[in-house]
Amino acid sequence: MKEYTILSVLFVIASFILDRVLKTNLANDRRFWKFWVIMFCVICIVNGYLTWRPVVVYGDSFFLGIRLFTIPIEDFLFGFSLLTSNLVLWEYFSKKNDKLKKPNAN
Amino acid sequence: MKLEYFILLAVCLAGPLVLSFSKKLALYKYPGRLVQAIVLPMIVFVAWDVFAAERGHWSFNNNYITGLFIFNLPVEEILFFVVIPFAGLFTWEVVKYFSGQKK
Repeated sequence: MKEYTILSVLFVIASFILDRVLKTNLANDRRFWKFWVIMFCVICIVNGYLTWRPVVVYGDSFFLGIRLFTIPIEDFLFGFSLLTSNLVLWEYFSKKNDKLKKPNAN
Repeated sequence: MKLEYFILLAVCLAGPLVLSFSKKLALYKYPGRLVQAIVLPMIVFVAWDVFAAERGHWSFNNNYITGLFIFNLPVEEILFFVVIPFAGLFTWEVVKYFSGQKK
C-alpha cells in the first residue's frame, strides 16, 4: 500500500485544519504563498541533494514513484506540512503574546 | 563521506542563524515562541519518521551519516527537524519584512 503517499496527504490536510482552528488564516495570506514559491526552490536544492546522493533511500512499494528531479512528490507534501505547522504555531503564539501585552487593544 | 548529511544541515543553518540576529528581524527576541513553533511539530514529525523508518518507507545511507542514532533515527535526521523549521521561520520573517504589513 502507498502508505507514504496517504500519510503525506493526511498531514497536508491536518496542517490546513490547524491553520483554520488556530485562526491564523495563513492560507488566505498572499505572503504565505510567496513564502512557498521560495521554499519550493529551497526544497528542490536541499531535498534534491538528499535524494540524489542518495542519503535517503525510499521503499518502492510505499510511494507513487513519481519524482521531480530525484525528489518523490510525497517529499514536497512532507515539507509543506512540516513548515506550514511551524509557521501556523509561530503566528499563533505571536498573536497570543501581542494580545497579552495589549489586553485592551482590538 | 560520513559527515555529508551533517554538513548539509550546517550549511542550511549558517545563513539564517547569522542573519536572524539582524535588528530588523530580531528573531532572538522571541526564544520561547521559536521553541514552541519548532518543538511541537518536531514531536509529531519525529514520531512519523520513526514509524516510516520502521515500516521501511525510507532508510538512510550509512555512507553519509555519522552513525549516531536516537530513537533508531540518525542524529542528523533529528536535527533536520530543528534546522529546517528554523530556516523556514527565518525565511517567513524575511518575506513578511519585504512584503510590508498588508496581506
